[in-house]
Amino acid sequence: MAKILVVDDSSTVRDEVSGFLSKNGLDVVTAVDGKDGLTKLQANPGIKLVVSDVNMPNMDGLTMVEKIRSELGNSSVNVIMLTTESSPNMKERGKAAGIKGWIVKPFKGEAVLETFKKLAS
Amino acid sequence: MSIRQRIFLLVMLTLLGLGLVGGYSIWQSQKNSSEVRSVTEGVVPSALASSDMLSKLKDVLLTTRAILAAPDLDAAQKLANRLAEQKNTLQQSLAAQSKEADSEAQKGLVTQLNETLADYYAAVDSTVQFKLQGKDQLAEANYAANAAEYQSNIEQIIETLRIQKNRSKDEAIAQLNANLKQTVSAISIVSLISLIVLGVMGVLLYRQVIRPMSRMQQMMTEVASTQDFSRRLPVTSEDELGRSMRAFNLMIEKIQDGSERLKEKTADINSMLQNLPEGVLTIQQDGTIHPEYSAYLETIYETPQIAGANALDFIFSGSTEGADALAQIAAVFDSSIGEERMNFDFNAHLLPQEIERKRAEGAHQYLALHWSPICDENENIEKIMLSIRDITHLREIEAEAAHQKRELEMIRQIIAVSQEKFHAFVEGSRTFLQENRYLVESNVFDADVLTVLFRNMHTIKGNARTYGLQLLTHSVHEAEQTYDNLRKDPSAVADRELLLTQLTEIGTLLDEYEDVNDNKLGRKGPGRRGNAEKYLMVERTFIKELCDNLADMPPVEERQDILLDKLRSVREQLGRLGTSSIHDVLDPIIQSLPSVARELGKDEPVTSISDNGIRLRNQVSDILRNAFMHLYRNAIDHGIEQPDERAQKGKPTAGHIRLDMFRDEGKLVIQLKDDGKGLALERIRAKALQTGLFTGESDHTDEDIAEQVFASGLSTAEQVSDISGRGVGMDAVRAFIRREGGDIKLKFEDDNVGHAFRSFSTIITLPESYMVI
Repeated sequence: MAKILVVDDSSTVRDEVSGFLSKNGLDVVTAVDGKDGLTKLQANPGIKLVVSDVNMPNMDGLTMVEKIRSELGNSSVNVIMLTTESSPNMKERGKAAGIKGWIVKPFKGEAVLETFKKLAS
Repeated sequence: MSIRQRIFLLVMLTLLGLGLVGGYSIWQSQKNSSEVRSVTEGVVPSALASSDMLSKLKDVLLTTRAILAAPDLDAAQKLANRLAEQKNTLQQSLAAQSKEADSEAQKGLVTQLNETLADYYAAVDSTVQFKLQGKDQLAEANYAANAAEYQSNIEQIIETLRIQKNRSKDEAIAQLNANLKQTVSAISIVSLISLIVLGVMGVLLYRQVIRPMSRMQQMMTEVASTQDFSRRLPVTSEDELGRSMRAFNLMIEKIQDGSERLKEKTADINSMLQNLPEGVLTIQQDGTIHPEYSAYLETIYETPQIAGANALDFIFSGSTEGADALAQIAAVFDSSIGEERMNFDFNAHLLPQEIERKRAEGAHQYLALHWSPICDENENIEKIMLSIRDITHLREIEAEAAHQKRELEMIRQIIAVSQEKFHAFVEGSRTFLQENRYLVESNVFDADVLTVLFRNMHTIKGNARTYGLQLLTHSVHEAEQTYDNLRKDPSAVADRELLLTQLTEIGTLLDEYEDVNDNKLGRKGPGRRGNAEKYLMVERTFIKELCDNLADMPPVEERQDILLDKLRSVREQLGRLGTSSIHDVLDPIIQSLPSVARELGKDEPVTSISDNGIRLRNQVSDILRNAFMHLYRNAIDHGIEQPDERAQKGKPTAGHIRLDMFRDEGKLVIQLKDDGKGLALERIRAKALQTGLFTGESDHTDEDIAEQVFASGLSTAEQVSDISGRGVGMDAVRAFIRREGGDIKLKFEDDNVGHAFRSFSTIITLPESYMVI
């Protein structure tokens, strides 16, 4: 079964997002920062979709995605960022790293569920 | 003919022309060269040969002479041999000449020459014979006589032949020259004709190809620059160009079609944007507003400065949206425009559906917003479209409608209550509210104060509920609940501000009701309420009926029986003046019982009323209605059991409530009794002990306990229901009745002293002045 990796340093957001997704039948793995995210992604080859916060300690979300592409050489996993604001610089880096979408917090489960299911399969 | 065919033809004709010119030239040159050869190899050598022949003749002559002059025979012999050779040579030359003779004259000359030469040779031979025989003189004579003559003839003939030959030669050369000249001119003519034909062909081809092509090119340039797609190329041929033109025409026809449709659509969209009573704009990737937006947007926002403005600043100018909400909306724009479609779906919920903004002149405006993404063929969001509807008017109408609905509802509620009752209710409620306000402002909240606060509010609530003034009951219930909570929890601290706010709120509602009553319904004032001793309260219709009845009186002298009947009837009517039957008084209560019973899960009770012909003064109707509202409700709530419980006891599932009205010892007595479980004495006792109404030591009779029903703060209902059970119902009722000089108490109907439940009836007594028999 396809898995989703949810990366966020805030346990509130993490629990909200992962709780909603697993309640709706998706298999969710969570990570607390970018570094943890990379480790979890390597450990779970079944992950098809990464949903990640941008600002996190140790390693931020965009750096993590860039490393997923360069260091892990994983160009197929879909990435969606959770953010509170957006800047041209962020979007440029996102585009270069092949990020699929941006979700402005607060996260609304019903609005993303169907797309997430599609991206995770 | 197609251009390809034409060009092919032209090339073929060119080749043919060249071939013709070449072939003709070759033919002519061949012919000329053979002529040249015949001249150089025939006529000229032949002419030379005739001269040569003369010299050969001279050789023969000289040799003959030499023989003649030969000194001896040997020498003569040798010379004779040479002569023979020379004769032979000359003979051969002649033979050749005879072959080449090309005219009759020449042939004749050759024949003549031949004959003369034979004669000459014969003369020479005889001369040589004579010499060789040694007859020199004879030889000399012979020669001179014959040979010399022949010799001279031959010379003449040869000369003539030579002249002939020369003439032939000159003629041949002249002919040759003429022929060569003719060849040159013929080739020139053929070449010229070929050039002319090719030129004509070329011109034709030019006209057919280049001209239409340049026309086509010109037209295309014009169409391209003017965008006038109605123009067409005239098609004059069926060749490749013709077909190209047709294709071109078809193409611009399609473009015309398409551009017309596009024009139509653009015009439609423009007209829509101009006339749509809605603000429509699109937000571009850089966050600005696209120059094409609906005209109405300018009306809504009262500015023409829209194109290129920052969308966020523009849309939310003067709005109540906070900075954080705006930052979020900006993030949604950024995250959506230029990204995949899903991003809009993810974030659209953060875009407001309605905003309130302040207009330039300060008035408030309500705008309904509808957001939608505009995507390209790859489902990437190019722009976000926003349609804005000004719903201010709608909101105003809604508010107005709500206000009117509320007012209508108030009117409906008020007119169900008579003027004097309504007035009394408002006055009474005001008094209670004032007392409560005074108590709250004193800021002392002990048990007594709370009890008064609660009782006052409970009375207002009961009355409001009885009169169906539902807009009031909610607020009153809340205030009552607040007091009740404070009463129940001694540690709770009263929120004075909250209590005052609640009182103000109820006061405002009361004002609103009164305003509708006084101004909308014109029912200001106390109405017909007054002292029962002094006044009668009469309905207009009653007086009218009476007047009609009196007007109907027959003349006194006729039919005295009828007259008497009429008089009796008028007296009766007058007697009933200002009274009501108990049925009329209780009717609203009886009507409300089924719903009360339903609310409590009980069957609709059966009611019976016996009034013994007693009517009640109108002054007391309200008090009794208030009292019986409590009593009937209590009967259903506390007395009558749940249907299954009644069934177990062998009673009918529907309860029975009976009312009897009679006169006893100069007083009006009204007795109410239900067939429920009776008075819960045990529970009332426990409750009274618990609330401190009883102290443990005293020995209380059943009557003492029953009396507690009228005490403030007693409730025995296991569940505090909305119907009764507040424990102040009965104390309020007693207060009402005692105010009118009457009383209310409970009377046991069985002998089961000390039992937990005892059957009882409620007895109300009132002064006699309130009754009419």
